[in-house]
Amino acid sequence: MILDVIQRSLRRPSRLIPVEALMESCEGSRMPDVQPERLTVDIASRVSAVCPTGALATEDRKGRSCLRLSYGHCIGCGRCVEVGEGALVPAARFRWTGLEKEQLVRRWDLSRRVEIAAETSEPDAVRGRVQKLLGRALNIRQLDTGSCNGCEAEISALTNPYYDLERWGIHFVASPKHADMLLVTGPVTRNMADAVRATYEAVPAPKLVVAVGACGCSGGLFAGSHAVVGAVDAVIPVDRYIPGCPPSPAMLLSGILEVLGRRHLK
Amino acid sequence: MNERAQPLQAPGKSENRETPFSLPVLADGSRARLVTLFGRIGPEGQRRVRYVFDKGEPDYFVTEIAADAPLASIVSQAPAAAWFEREMHDQYGFEIRKHPDLRPLVFHGNWPDNVHAMVDDVTDVPWAQRDYQFLQVQGEGITEVAVGPVHAGIIEPGHFRFSVVGDTVLHLELRHFYTHKGTEKLFEGRTAGDGVMLAESVSGDNCFAHAVAYCQAVENACPASLPARAAALRLIGLELERLVCHVSDFGGLCTDVGFIVGAALATRIKEDLLQASARCCGTRYWRGVAVPGGLRLDLDLAAVARLTRSVEESVREFRDLAHVVLETPSIQNRFEGAGILKKNVARDLAVVGVVARASGVNLDVRRDHPSGHYELVQMTVPVLHYGDVMARARIRVEEVSVSARLIRETADALPPGPVRAPVQFTAAVSGASAVESPRGELYYWIEGRDDRLTRCHIKSPSFQNWPAMPFAVVENMIADFPLINKSFNLSYSGCDR
Repeated sequence: MILDVIQRSLRRPSRLIPVEALMESCEGSRMPDVQPERLTVDIASRVSAVCPTGALATEDRKGRSCLRLSYGHCIGCGRCVEVGEGALVPAARFRWTGLEKEQLVRRWDLSRRVEIAAETSEPDAVRGRVQKLLGRALNIRQLDTGSCNGCEAEISALTNPYYDLERWGIHFVASPKHADMLLVTGPVTRNMADAVRATYEAVPAPKLVVAVGACGCSGGLFAGSHAVVGAVDAVIPVDRYIPGCPPSPAMLLSGILEVLGRRHLK
Repeated sequence: MNERAQPLQAPGKSENRETPFSLPVLADGSRARLVTLFGRIGPEGQRRVRYVFDKGEPDYFVTEIAADAPLASIVSQAPAAAWFEREMHDQYGFEIRKHPDLRPLVFHGNWPDNVHAMVDDVTDVPWAQRDYQFLQVQGEGITEVAVGPVHAGIIEPGHFRFSVVGDTVLHLELRHFYTHKGTEKLFEGRTAGDGVMLAESVSGDNCFAHAVAYCQAVENACPASLPARAAALRLIGLELERLVCHVSDFGGLCTDVGFIVGAALATRIKEDLLQASARCCGTRYWRGVAVPGGLRLDLDLAAVARLTRSVEESVREFRDLAHVVLETPSIQNRFEGAGILKKNVARDLAVVGVVARASGVNLDVRRDHPSGHYELVQMTVPVLHYGDVMARARIRVEEVSVSARLIRETADALPPGPVRAPVQFTAAVSGASAVESPRGELYYWIEGRDDRLTRCHIKSPSFQNWPAMPFAVVENMIADFPLINKSFNLSYSGCDR
């Protein structure tokens, strides 16, 4: 009976993935990375041409031509890896999660074949205080604004015995009125726009808003549809972004901990 | 699976007469099952309606009529047509006579009356304010309970309007399409290769079924011959997706009756399967694997062997768990007799998938309309007659075993050879395809010209099953609604598209 099941389960080693193995892991997410030493102008224009969402583009920056990769737009379709001749590869580690929008963009100088270092922004004093206030025990309200349910499936996985979000004192709550953070998925559809604003208003201040997935960050494949208003930040203010289509549970976890400034704490 | 197009029927003669339409009738006098109906615009701007029926033959029965004259609603003959006709009315603005309820379905109050997304210019559509009248149940002691669109959990949005007396539900009205993203329109103008990503984003947890259904429709349109190895690997992917979905649903049922041990174990087994997929093909949900003409990647013998070992281990654990859960008296007390969907209602509303098979309707695309590697396998289709939550749970448990067997047999005899064949539209082409997704019959119809799609219609099983759900909820207590809803496990995004 049920006691047998519990007993058998207890006899197994714990499935909990240690925190070190989760941070920067992106297995199964199909996010791309760039090998700059293999990058050429030809490859850069070819991968930009096959990218379905404009995540990859060549641009001119301060007189130098470079390749731009915006993870917020990337749906991990893998086409760039197919035509990139080894210059684009599946990412082994991934730390572009839970950041501000501009920080999800990477650039490579095409003539020097090196990554251009991102400009560091001033730390936000107000956000620092919010993080301090909310950091210890966080209540998350998940909000679907029109997603395909892919992001929801991965967010639900955070509560399974492998990831166990509760070990950080983080819980999912049923009402926006109990929440500190809104975890928002999907492009915002026309039909959901009013409900999204109302849900945002119902969360008491101070509040954090995190947009999740390619659709939440940029509209993804649905950007420009007549039935879609746009990405989450087209409707409510967004603090941080977690890219991916869908982001793997490890990427979601690292992202949430990054927002709280707890990524390096146990 | 192929489809046979029937000659067009003559349109109605005068403007004031509706175009007649009579449903195909089977030999035993019963009416054929409605698979889908949808509008389209021909190359010279002709307005057309395409009806697809299942007459119990391997090929679907297809007929098309002109929609220049007003159409006669077929709802009185086939109640399942109600939402399809409403959707077509919203998308195309075809005049439909004698429909009992033509309220807007796809767009809510924000959308102007006179703009029809599939035919009109939809850049910068103004925001409107339209009223929507819910059906009101009046009488002493009747209260309305409004739930959604934002639900209390990690769930998609939708609205439920209950009319209750005390705890008992008298009437339930659905208002969905909150996640409507205009997906069918977005296919237009894309290449056949680009369309597959959109198909994968229709219903995130059934993304491989959508991708395969779309790819098969393109392949049938071309026509391209699918390599045998690709067909076999697609079967493994489809059955794995069914396993993940059924295990997850079973865990969800445990959650909804507060049986936390069962729920936690089911989420663990589900995660084992997803991680096995990630190790095997680099993606947890098989996104980006299917392409028109085959698969993007090949799996070597070792990877397939590892995958089948993980599947067997997971399925063994799941069967142990399911046995314990379904033999627990408190579970039986909640599952049995809850949310009964009667067979006649299931038939009238042309319900598909697990829900149909739990209500005594013996349907499965894999056996009835096989395509790809399914043409080569023998399979049993479990059918139960009670139509309650327990029956839907038991069907899922049985199907997990069937899927595991199909995966093992296919993996043991995996044909050698390439996994991808070239596909190119040359002239004007169209093609259809049906796949048994974890939720039931999924049907794609595509039309293209010079490697560009001009129309893609998606009949998702959820669109067909949602209207039946209220019939299972009525006369139950409102506290059982989450359980009944979970036992149907319908996709909001798949329905809304």
